Amino acid sequence: MNAASRFLLVSALAVSVTACVTINIYFPAAAAEKAADRIIDEVWQLRDAAPDAPAAPAAADAQGETK
Amino acid sequence: MKVASSFTRWFAVVLFGLLLGGAVQAQGNLEVNTPAIATLKQSMQQRHARLAPLYASGAVGLAADGSVALRDAGSVPLAQRGQVNGLIAAENADRAALYREIARANGHPEWESDVRRTFAQRWIDRAQPGWWVQKSGAWVRK
Amino acid sequence: MVWLVLGLLLSALWAGGTWGVQRLALTIGSISNPSISARGVQVRFEHGGGALLAADALRLGGRSWSRLALRCARARLEASVFHCSDGRVAFAGKGLPLTMALEVDLGTGAARAAAGFDGGGRIEVVLAGGGDVRLHATRLAVRDLRRVASLLWEGGLVQFDALDPDGLLDGQLIWSPEAASAKLSATLSEGAFGSADGLLAGEALGLVLNAEASRRDGGWQWQADARWDAGAAYVHPLYLEAGPALQASGVFAAGRLEVRRATARLDGVREVSASGSFDLNAGRAERLLVRFDGVDLAVAGPRWIAPLVLPAQVDRLVFSGSVSAAVEVRGGGLHALDVAFDAAGFGLRGAAGGAGLALGPLAGEAAWSRSRPTRMRVRAEGGRWEKLTLGAFELDARIEAERVAFARTVVPLLDGAVVIEDLVLAREAGHWEGRGGVVVEPVSMRALTEALDLPVMTGVLSAALPGVRASPGAIELEGALVISVFDGYLQATGLRVLEPFGVASHLSADIEARHIDLAQLTETFSFGSMSGFVDADLRGLELARWQPVAFDARIASSAGQYPRRISQRAVQNISALGGAGAVAALQRGLLGLFESFGYREVGLRCALRDGVCMMDGIEGARRADGGFPIVRGGGVPALDVIGYNRRVDWDELVDRLQRVIAENVSPELR
Repeated sequence: MNAASRFLLVSALAVSVTACVTINIYFPAAAAEKAADRIIDEVWQLRDAAPDAPAAPAAADAQGETK
Repeated sequence: MKVASSFTRWFAVVLFGLLLGGAVQAQGNLEVNTPAIATLKQSMQQRHARLAPLYASGAVGLAADGSVALRDAGSVPLAQRGQVNGLIAAENADRAALYREIARANGHPEWESDVRRTFAQRWIDRAQPGWWVQKSGAWVRK
Repeated sequence: MVWLVLGLLLSALWAGGTWGVQRLALTIGSISNPSISARGVQVRFEHGGGALLAADALRLGGRSWSRLALRCARARLEASVFHCSDGRVAFAGKGLPLTMALEVDLGTGAARAAAGFDGGGRIEVVLAGGGDVRLHATRLAVRDLRRVASLLWEGGLVQFDALDPDGLLDGQLIWSPEAASAKLSATLSEGAFGSADGLLAGEALGLVLNAEASRRDGGWQWQADARWDAGAAYVHPLYLEAGPALQASGVFAAGRLEVRRATARLDGVREVSASGSFDLNAGRAERLLVRFDGVDLAVAGPRWIAPLVLPAQVDRLVFSGSVSAAVEVRGGGLHALDVAFDAAGFGLRGAAGGAGLALGPLAGEAAWSRSRPTRMRVRAEGGRWEKLTLGAFELDARIEAERVAFARTVVPLLDGAVVIEDLVLAREAGHWEGRGGVVVEPVSMRALTEALDLPVMTGVLSAALPGVRASPGAIELEGALVISVFDGYLQATGLRVLEPFGVASHLSADIEARHIDLAQLTETFSFGSMSGFVDADLRGLELARWQPVAFDARIASSAGQYPRRISQRAVQNISALGGAGAVAALQRGLLGLFESFGYREVGLRCALRDGVCMMDGIEGARRADGGFPIVRGGGVPALDVIGYNRRVDWDELVDRLQRVIAENVSPELR
């Protein structure tokens, strides 16, 4: 590996490290818009779409056993 | 030297993987299913029954900063203007809390202003015809 | 005295017109008296009894007009008195919406004018020979008056246009230039005003105003009393109703209105007094000092204070007692505020309907000034936070513009105290932030649990939270809250109260419990009996309205040597919590034979999310049949308790736990 390619690799690394950091603080605008729309639907009752709450858990049942 | 360079290559691959992972995560959904957000939504939904006629009459408009504002109190009977003002203040308190909670629920409290901006745009875009919205400082009727 | 007529020039001439009509024209020249002066006055009688009275220029009360014309349908000159009726007035070619009748004594300068507005109102002006002006108005519409004013001079009453005032005026103004005095009595009925945005508005207003002024030392000394006796107004964000009355006196000079002393009668306030000066051209208060003495908070609080201070919480704020306050305005802005509390009480009911927070009765003083540091010293005789009663304490703070620094405050709580140290509230970037430290001096758990209607526990609660930060969205308490209880301790760290004042207020913390004596715990909660010790961790605990909504919990037997036994009742209760379904007959029979069993360890994990508790048992213990051991038996007779349902509805679990505790029911075994 010559000096040039090592330099390239190091720069690529540096770029990816900083890119990584950038990604982490990047605001997911598209997802936020979707989330806002869902909340607006509910608050303004624009659709009578079922709320996206998770299916109600089956009532706790029989799980005690003694022996 | 050979060992070292293969290690760096491996390291680069891992980093690149992380980078992709981060990107994928960033494109995923925003967490909005917390109890606090549910409470706020419910509170705002209940209030909406009283706010909707005020949006329709133009007394209250959707402001550019993601809040609601008293735009033309003149269409509200005198004795009820104070109550409408209280209603607006309560709605704005809930909205501010909602934006903070969403940012917080996603582990990025600093996103509050981004969340607020996104909501501001969506409230305005989705306002019903006849409602008043604020665009570049001026009130316009949709 | 006759203030006459300079250079009265009477030239009558007969002019033969083409139609054979004859006209008489009088050129009067100029008229002058202290109230009025006119230049280039001429009267021209026209065929058919009409006349035109015209002046090149007219000056009245500091204003002047050019090209005045009064065209009378009928006119006559008798002796030196000019009579005109059904006249229409025009200034510089613009006609006024009124019909006028006029009598002028050309010899003495005395005049009488009556104007009937097209809108129905009447105004009569009598100019006595001595110069006195007497003005009488009957059902004169304010809107007509504004219209005439806008025709009479550039801009008219433009300063009022933004409020679009209307109403009917009745009243009388007497102005005596010689005595340099004026007297006004007026009533306004059906009054209304409203700004375009609706933030200032009044409807069906009735006002009575009496005022007198006399010119002295280059200014007008005046006194007035006004009474607002009908209607309502909205002055954002306050809704006001008729009732207030005002008396005031002062000086008016060079566009400045000086109020030497004013007193007002206001509902819920024993006495209001004020003084100040206003720049009428700029339309603002240069300096204004208003004192409110004996403000009854129960009346004034919801009406005046809540809408101004916390409009979103108007329904939740509770007021009692009284305050006195002095407000100083300078250059149009608030400059200083002094408040004295007298048995004053303030409360904020909980958003979810709880008792919330209440302070009082308060006694003492607080001051704020834009220009200098001030102090607040208030003694609270007590307070209340939800079910907890707070003892008497002193609040002592230094206030500088937008920063409040509190001295150490000790708030007695049950048999201990909450000590607030170095608390500083400051306004930063448009909102208030607080910083400080809190120490809870030991409070006995017995007193605390009794106050909270919980099963009585022993032990003490204390806390050292040196880094407390409060912002509108969160109160973060850095440090630890420790409860020594059940022979061990419980420590809460990472305490945060999120959205503390809103509907979605919730609390988050990490809790670590060590060496909790099961014997005491099970006895306290009437849960059968168990001996031994457990450690517990609740990570990411979130409480909303004091109910847990999320956590990762882990309970496990503490390390060490100690007796470990579990009673039959406790076993049944643990089973019951999971719904007493699968208990085999054989085991039930066995269970019935013994009062208690030995165990090696207990372990339970629960991750609560979205109302569902994901259960697990002793760490590392998995069973092939998918069950998870909660109690692993040991000794003779040995007993295992095994759970099978990993998804448990939290509310139902709590419901069952409460039923077990409350009724101490023997779970049904089938």
